[in-house]
Amino acid sequence: MIELTNLHKHFKTKTGTVTAVNGVSFRAEDGAITGLLGPNGAGKTTTMRILYTLMKADQGSVLVDGLDTTRDADAVRRLLGVLPDARSLYKRLTARENITYFGRLHGMDEASIRINTDRLVEALGMADFIDRRTEGFSQGQRTKTAIARALVHNPKNVVLDEPTNGLDVMTTRALRDFLKTLRAEGRCVILSSHIMQEVGALCDHIVVIAKGRVTTQGSPDELLKQTGESTLEDAFVKAIGADEEVST
Amino acid sequence: MRTLMTVMIKELTETFRDRKIIINGLLMVPLLVPVLILGMGALAQSRAETQLESELSLPVLGADYAPNLVAYLSTQNIRIEPPPADVEALISNQERDVILRIDESYADDWRQSRAATVEILFDSSRQDTQIPLRRVERALVGYSRQAGAVRLIARGVDPALNQAVQVTYRDLATDEARRGMLLAFLPYLLILTAFLGGAYLVMDATAGERERQSLEPLLATPASRVAIMSGKIAAACVFGMLVLLLTLLSFKLSFTFVRSGPFAGMEVTMLAIGKLLIILLPMVLIGTALLTLISASVKSLKEAQSYMGILMLLPVLPTAILLVNPVKNALWMFATPFLAQNQLILMVLRAETISMVQWATYLGAGFGLGAVLWCIAASLYHSERLAISA
Repeated sequence: MIELTNLHKHFKTKTGTVTAVNGVSFRAEDGAITGLLGPNGAGKTTTMRILYTLMKADQGSVLVDGLDTTRDADAVRRLLGVLPDARSLYKRLTARENITYFGRLHGMDEASIRINTDRLVEALGMADFIDRRTEGFSQGQRTKTAIARALVHNPKNVVLDEPTNGLDVMTTRALRDFLKTLRAEGRCVILSSHIMQEVGALCDHIVVIAKGRVTTQGSPDELLKQTGESTLEDAFVKAIGADEEVST
Repeated sequence: MRTLMTVMIKELTETFRDRKIIINGLLMVPLLVPVLILGMGALAQSRAETQLESELSLPVLGADYAPNLVAYLSTQNIRIEPPPADVEALISNQERDVILRIDESYADDWRQSRAATVEILFDSSRQDTQIPLRRVERALVGYSRQAGAVRLIARGVDPALNQAVQVTYRDLATDEARRGMLLAFLPYLLILTAFLGGAYLVMDATAGERERQSLEPLLATPASRVAIMSGKIAAACVFGMLVLLLTLLSFKLSFTFVRSGPFAGMEVTMLAIGKLLIILLPMVLIGTALLTLISASVKSLKEAQSYMGILMLLPVLPTAILLVNPVKNALWMFATPFLAQNQLILMVLRAETISMVQWATYLGAGFGLGAVLWCIAASLYHSERLAISA
């Protein structure tokens, strides 16, 4: 379970201070998929970076399975499987070597790395390219490898920043099924997206973020009810504010 | 420690899979060495031979005033040329190295047994002038001494009386030391190789990885950032030492093929190679730690590379300072980066003994500086900015 309470984050730039996250709170339950939905630049990636300990919040706290991300950063990183927005592979290593490298960095022994890798290869359908060097991989193959790399240590909590970005329909579907298995296994899954259909089709709990704030949250049905709209798309547009430019 | 090894092995695996890096980074210098040794040896030898033994052309102004002197010079393998129209142009255009001018009053002075004036015109800033100048000087001194002796004898005086002190020379420089002078370029080459040999790897491992956006997932793992950074530094050190080892072995091999010239009979022992590697190890650490520090503080690989120009000049500094202001070896030198390596490498090349105090001072200072740079780099690695690529 992941719990974010009143997160704030500012950046100093040449032109002044930018408030990226301005009081974000929500809770992601185990055995559920929580979706962070918001337009580009809403603060989704920054929120996630604070959550996986890469950034420190100016204010507020994040608890992962009861552990604080600032006080127990190392322990928290062990509990998390992270697919960041920036997720390049090492192109002179094979997909398997990429995954093994991360397994070793998680302190796993070679046997467990092999077992977990084989399991992920099976689940994600990577058998035909697992031992090829990643140079020249398609977007789908790269994303699958990056996900396998993020989950090699079999983490209880899974955080994915825009996992379906740039994927074709078939790969997106396969990925959705994979995420549903993760949910069925009782894991806590958080993913971010700016694509409303995607979140609607997959998530049990939707958190709409705009301009660094949570504008509304709840199940897809609750969202429709709260906004008084008939389609999720309209609900989304209304939730983030009509003046926002939305990419769906 | 396990993380360090994991990162190191991964970085080296990646590097060794890139054929271009192997050729440019690892093999270029070692392959260049034989060309340098054989080429330089041959060139130096042929130049010395031609300048020492060939006939020297010497334009003489006012040859008519001293026909005997001119005739004497002709017997010294010097060909007398007619006076040129523009003396200074001849020198500055480098057409002739030396010109002799005989004074108008030469004949008068000579007859009255006064010191007659001749003037040698040359350009001291040109290396090429040294040998011709010395040949002309020696010929003139020889002629002067001969004529002086005749004058003394004519007056019934023993010419030896004129020489209160007889100076003779004995060169005590060892063969190794004399060759060491020829190898003045070697310390620079070795220090530069040590300092920047791992540059590509270490800049790519931090600035490059950040630019390619693979640093963020790496730093999201529980592996400690210091261990990750140390692994990258260690990989670059291994690579740098490998380049050095290959370079030194290449020197050893090249010298065995030299049959003539100044490098003939030169030998690089395995002991000397071992000593040189120990001397250069702190340099490798300093270089890679410094480059990591730079890579962690800049925005892109390109920006990191822009520091290379200034870094390449650093190893030249001590050599340049010593050239202008030569000083004797003192202990503080062994604690000064670049200067210390320069002095120690020369000592090994001259087969001089390095004392324990000198070793201790050097290794202490070298690894100390490396450790300081490592700490600064480590603190930069902990900054929030590092992981965020875009």
